Amino acid sequence: MQQQLTNLSDKELISRARRQNDREAEGVLMERYSHLLVAVTMPQLHKDSSLDPSTIFPVLLQRLSASLKTQTIYKASEWILHIQKGFLGKPEKNTPFYPSREVRDLLHIENLVDKATNNVIDSNELMLRLEQAMDRLHDEEKTLLKQFYLENKSFADLSAITGQPRDKVRAQLKSAKGKLAKLFMNQGYVK
Amino acid sequence: MLSNNKHKNDKVLKIFSSIRCLNKDQFPRYMDGRLTDIEKHLVEQHLADCDLCYNALLALEKEDDQDKYQDLTYKLQRFVRNSIQPVSHVQKVAQYTRKEKAKEHLLLYFWLLAFIGLGIGSVYVLEGHIRNQPPPVRYVAAVTPSREPSAAETSTPAPAATPPVVTPVNNTQPEVSTPNPIQLPDAPLATTTATTTTPGSVPVDSAAIKKAAALKAQQRKATADSLARIRRAQMLQNQQDSVRREAEKAKEAEKNKKEKEEEEKKSQKQENTTETNPEPAKKETPPPAALNSDEYLYKAAMGFQQQGNYGEAIDRYRKLESVSSGRYQEMARYQIAVCYRSKGQMGKARRMFREVVRMDGAMKNSAQLALDAM
Repeated sequence: MQQQLTNLSDKELISRARRQNDREAEGVLMERYSHLLVAVTMPQLHKDSSLDPSTIFPVLLQRLSASLKTQTIYKASEWILHIQKGFLGKPEKNTPFYPSREVRDLLHIENLVDKATNNVIDSNELMLRLEQAMDRLHDEEKTLLKQFYLENKSFADLSAITGQPRDKVRAQLKSAKGKLAKLFMNQGYVK
Repeated sequence: MLSNNKHKNDKVLKIFSSIRCLNKDQFPRYMDGRLTDIEKHLVEQHLADCDLCYNALLALEKEDDQDKYQDLTYKLQRFVRNSIQPVSHVQKVAQYTRKEKAKEHLLLYFWLLAFIGLGIGSVYVLEGHIRNQPPPVRYVAAVTPSREPSAAETSTPAPAATPPVVTPVNNTQPEVSTPNPIQLPDAPLATTTATTTTPGSVPVDSAAIKKAAALKAQQRKATADSLARIRRAQMLQNQQDSVRREAEKAKEAEKNKKEKEEEEKKSQKQENTTETNPEPAKKETPPPAALNSDEYLYKAAMGFQQQGNYGEAIDRYRKLESVSSGRYQEMARYQIAVCYRSKGQMGKARRMFREVVRMDGAMKNSAQLALDAM
């Protein structure tokens, strides 16, 4: 059972944990993100020596488990980071999670691309629309996206070209992709 | 040019290809630069989008003690497994038991419903059976008509006693048959009283019930037998009556003949002695004799007809028809038609009725009516 569940997607595991109250699916999801949770929490553990990992992580897991059943989750990574930050920032307050509009748009386009892979007509239409959306971007953003996604340049290469640190390059890439997604989504209204 | 364009287009879709979060092994390999170019590019594509992975990467890059990270991760994973697996096992057991209980409940409801249905059905069938069964009061009703024929039997010997010509065999049969119907009413009454007294004195016993049922069956049989006997006796009586009548008529005819002969002799003597008015005496005597014989034949045939022996009756009527003339011929023809009608030979019956109508006698109207009714 465990083996079968590990092959399932996050979405499927979340729906199983919710609808069928499947604790095993929930466990598989937590286990999948446990190393990221630990890695993200490590700086706080170093900063505040009073924090005990043996008490913090179980409580964090409980909070995640509670929010899993009630809140809308588009991307598990976004949700886990939100809960972790909320817990460590204000442990007494249970901050609810609302998925961002950008993430929802991104997920929508990702699903469209996934579906279009087997359909030539759909994929051609999608490509055309994406190119149209790309044309509306600023030149800097367009070149950055083209260099990163179409020319397969790494963060290090881009930072060397632009002369900016990796964090900034990554942030620029993220914002450019977000804009592209927004433009793509709003194309229907522009037409 | 076209292919180049297509190549570029394909890559545009890459911007929005979904990539899973980095796993535990990918982080150290990425940091050490041990990933292939494609793999590295995929990881960086994901890092560009995913804040969690990028934050984790930053934290790990800053982390000096990698063993602590590995240890904490291992502990957390074990905790997750330990905390969730038993719960899931308990959940499974609970689910299984719930399912089993639900099944049992369903089965129970099913059997309950089935039994209730069966019970209602059996009650309905029983009621129907009881409704169709003759009620116990009918015993009396079944006995009382048996008395009527017995009374008829007792009354019939009275006229039979007057005529002296009664065969001894015929007389004994009704005597044997008569006591039975008279005794029979007493038997069921006695048994009914017995059955009514038993529940009061003795509690309900299956043997007693069986006995009562057997007695009832016997009573029923007895009543049926008695009825059959009575019918048989009635039939015999009717036959006897007809035979008796025939015998009477034959005797009367003989007497008449004797009288005629005597009268003839006397007249011959008178003629011999005094030859005065011989014709009127001769004319007067023959018609009554003929009439008597016709009447006798007619009645005999009628007797057969009444018994239901239509063939014999028709034969008799035919004889009468050939022998006699006038009224009796007409009547005989009419009766033949009636016999054919009751036999179901409508064509013949119709023909005979028509003949009767053609004869234009006293029976014309009734024949016409019968024809119309057919």
